[in-house]
Amino acid sequence: MKEEVVTVENLRKSYETYLRRGLFARERKIVEALKGVSFRIYRGEVFGLLGPNGAGKTTTVKILSTLLLPDSGVATVLGYDVVKEAVEVRRRIGVSLTVEKGFFWKLTGRENLMYFGMLYGLDGPELKQRVQRMLELVGLEELGSSDKLYEEYSLGMKARLSIARALLTDPELLILDEPTLGLDPPSARLLRELLIRVAHEEGKTVLITTHNMFEAEIVCDRLAIINKGTIVAMDTVDGLKRLVSEDITLEMLVVLPAKVSLKQLREEISEVVSGRVEVDPTEEGTRIRVVMKPSEKEQATQEMLRKLHSMGCSVRRIEVKEPTLEDVFIELTGGK
Amino acid sequence: MGLWTLLKSGLILDIYFFKNNRAQLVSMFAWPYILLVLMLGMGFLFGSAETFKSNVGVEADPVVFFVASTLIAMASMSVMWEVGGTVLFHRWTGTLPYMLIAPYRISVTLVMSYIPRYLLWSFMQLAEFVPVLIWREGLVGGLADALVMGLAIVIGMLPLLGFAAIFGSFLLTIKEETNVLSWLNPIVLILSGAFYPAYLFPLWARFLSMILPTTYTFELARISSLLGAPKLAEMTFLIAVLLGMSIFYNALSFTLMGKAEKKALKSGAV
Ligand SMILES: Nc1ncnc2c1ncn2[C@@H]1O[C@H](COP(=O)(O)OP(=O)(O)O)[C@@H](O)[C@H]1O
Ligand SMILES: [Mg+2]
Repeated sequence: MKEEVVTVENLRKSYETYLRRGLFARERKIVEALKGVSFRIYRGEVFGLLGPNGAGKTTTVKILSTLLLPDSGVATVLGYDVVKEAVEVRRRIGVSLTVEKGFFWKLTGRENLMYFGMLYGLDGPELKQRVQRMLELVGLEELGSSDKLYEEYSLGMKARLSIARALLTDPELLILDEPTLGLDPPSARLLRELLIRVAHEEGKTVLITTHNMFEAEIVCDRLAIINKGTIVAMDTVDGLKRLVSEDITLEMLVVLPAKVSLKQLREEISEVVSGRVEVDPTEEGTRIRVVMKPSEKEQATQEMLRKLHSMGCSVRRIEVKEPTLEDVFIELTGGK
Repeated sequence: MGLWTLLKSGLILDIYFFKNNRAQLVSMFAWPYILLVLMLGMGFLFGSAETFKSNVGVEADPVVFFVASTLIAMASMSVMWEVGGTVLFHRWTGTLPYMLIAPYRISVTLVMSYIPRYLLWSFMQLAEFVPVLIWREGLVGGLADALVMGLAIVIGMLPLLGFAAIFGSFLLTIKEETNVLSWLNPIVLILSGAFYPAYLFPLWARFLSMILPTTYTFELARISSLLGAPKLAEMTFLIAVLLGMSIFYNALSFTLMGKAEKKALKSGAV
């Protein structure tokens, strides 16, 4: 039985905002940020909340971090209600919101961590060691930046420090809101590697939000796609891809010897795969497209290659076309 | 245990700040004297020590009187700014959410992490004035004055923490970053009789003056400047008033802060 670390049940949240209409007049406007969101996160998994801007990711994250009260619905972290037992929840989570701020500019990275460590109840040699370990873990020590002022940090360093603070109290659940937002690709990659390492080595349960599908695909074990305050799909990355299409398309470019006709080729290949087979002549050579089930992918591919080889065909190019998370996303959110 | 580290966190934050901003440290030390010279200068501009005595209406040493006023003015402004305004400061630096997820009630975090800084800086400023006090009143008299002022700093802090937290809770609930403290602070100082004696005020202002804790803190500190009069009874009275106000304002602020916290967490102001 998998242990539930986060349980979210039918969460709703609206914000009240005012639009300025002239100098004094203003118009009340209600924004429905969450329209009944439910999901569960199990111990040890990296769970992603993927959605475009304004989908309700930060709202969900803030509710789980006890920084925002829901209008209705229930959210618990390790069995504690985020509204009624907020202090118990706070003791067990590590949070990183916007990574570009949230620290004191005139303090070094280490001093910032020392301060927040104390604020969160750590003290003495334990605090010192923990701060040192986290600085090493997130790579700030290696960069020689632990004792530099925060105001001199690059965005990548700020993001790392934010992860370090979230890990400071050795929490059971990490809540990270768009931790790579705004980072240049190399920094983002380093941070993703760091997150994967932390999740596995430290055995953390992680909730991470992102609008980046590529990131969701490589970091998350399981994903919920959220759009306009509603979860539209939830599964593993592979499971989500199957939502769009179960099938895999294999595309090959081959050069046929003169004695083999196109018809012959199609018949030979159809013997080893169950799906549709298309054979078209192109300028570069003959293009073969085969649709197959994920389960037969490996075996069918091997047998096809063997067949082509025995017929004397030379293979120029081979490409597997799996549906991407992007396909899933576009299909589910109605194209955007 | 937890509260102790919370207190310490406030202290360490200050030490780091000043370690990295030496220039600010220097101006911090110079500030009390600048203010004192200014106040004294203005005082003497309007006449001799004799006219001062008749103006203020008490038999007091003007220098000691102004030292006490300066000290309390700085201390109470600091409480108002830093407990009340800390919400703004943290919102501005983006540290507010990370303060709020400390495992305590918000009001406890804001007030507790501030106390050590208040005591540290107020006593440092007092220590700066000790030579002046000794110059005016001699060794024993000067130290006794310092003792009374120190007492006023500590006891005066208690009701003011609650009083300032009320404004902090108000600032927590509004999303906009208007700082009511910038105009509220001078008004509080004037009404507490920091610049003019309260009996010169119109009736409504005298009433406001009576319910402000700072009024009594100023009184308490200024007792040290009185010449020769028996002070013990009056001191006990003022201390009792301040302690009573501590209970009142802190209870009020605890309730209001709880409400404000709810409201802020509901509206998404954090
Ligand atoms: N404090 C707030 N006040 C008013 N509206 C808000 C507030 N925070 C978020 N919203 C609105 O709620 C919706 C969801 O926002 P958010 O949860 O921040 O989305 P995401 O993090 O997925 O981009 C958006 O339409 C946003 O404009
Ligand atoms: Mg967001």
